[in-house]
Amino acid sequence: MSAHEELLDNVAAYALGALPPSDAAGVERHLRTCAECRREYESLRPAVTAVAYSAEACETAESGAAVASPLLKSRIMRKVRAEAAPRRLAPPAWPAYLAAAACLALATVTGLQNLSLNDRLNRERAQTTQQVKELADLAAPDSKRMPFHHGEVVMHGPRLYIAMHDMPMPPRGKVYQAWTLAKGAKRVAPSMTFMPKASGTTLVALPEAATTLAAVAISVEPEGGSLQPTSKPIALVAL
Amino acid sequence: MNDASRLMERVRARDAAAFETLYDEYHRLVYGLALRVLADPGAAEDVTQAVFLKIWDNPALFRGGNFGGWIARVTRNRALDVVRSRAVRVQEDVPESLPVDESLEETVIANLDGARVRDALERLPREQREAIELGFFGGATQEDIARETGIPLGTVKTRIRMGLRKLRNVLEGVVTV
Repeated sequence: MSAHEELLDNVAAYALGALPPSDAAGVERHLRTCAECRREYESLRPAVTAVAYSAEACETAESGAAVASPLLKSRIMRKVRAEAAPRRLAPPAWPAYLAAAACLALATVTGLQNLSLNDRLNRERAQTTQQVKELADLAAPDSKRMPFHHGEVVMHGPRLYIAMHDMPMPPRGKVYQAWTLAKGAKRVAPSMTFMPKASGTTLVALPEAATTLAAVAISVEPEGGSLQPTSKPIALVAL
Repeated sequence: MNDASRLMERVRARDAAAFETLYDEYHRLVYGLALRVLADPGAAEDVTQAVFLKIWDNPALFRGGNFGGWIARVTRNRALDVVRSRAVRVQEDVPESLPVDESLEETVIANLDGARVRDALERLPREQREAIELGFFGGATQEDIARETGIPLGTVKTRIRMGLRKLRNVLEGVVTV
């Protein structure tokens, strides 16, 4: 069997997610250049999605597939509705973003004052308020800054940010994930996943209270994030 | 751009109502899939919550294509992470990053529902269905399946490939059930 035939033979298992990582990487590389294998992959992938749909929960009792508790939606939506903060901002330059922070906040507020009152205004104001708060945190003289390659962790009171500049995009199918180590803890806990902007500065506001933490780390993880790190951290910052 | 992609545009603008519509549309898929992988309603709810909040926290993770297929792959990977939390990871993801011909995918996935797919799966030869389900829901590699069932690896590969092809044809209407 030729190398190509062997790879073609593995495309179905690759689409299903049933290859060991080393074989999967080989098939993925091959798919980028081989039209025949790519056609095979494209024809099979919808079937894999269909397999996932076969597990879809139904409301009807006879389906045998239970539905999630309605409380689950309440929990999720409570958190979503309370979320006022955009996770990432784009200050105009790095490392001058601190100097520009107050100007940017002022410009945003001034712009809003010129808008007519409409349904969007309250939401935008809430977002702007959060942005102003975040920028104030970043610009505060008593904020604590801990640099790492490509950026710094900024801590102001209980609030914690990762500010990055020219962070490279992770490989396809991967994201960056933050990890936090609570004081006295022996293991890190998963925090947010995020993608850097293609250029400029990316700001991530971590939800954890900085005062309870001993360290923050960042690693590259599969999309969707991981419960435990699956790769060596690219940054580890003691607070 | 399909409905889900339009909703995701609004989620990127922090629109909670759009997010709620997405939840209503896709939570049965996410929870059902997590429950199938984990066989634990509590853990399945945890995964469902984690998947949806990840989407809210970082909507840029979705880079276009079929949203149902994407969220299913994210859910499957997250649920298998729970299963393997102290074990060696197998293939890290059902591949979700390679751009594919979306029109093909939409053709098959349009109007897809769990009952129709369950029916189509039921009509596959049992050995093909079992190989596919062990690989997808069980997170087993094709080598694992061969070892566990005592079947030659080449046969397992054929069963997965033939089963997926047949399933696709049935759902596309090429073959009627």
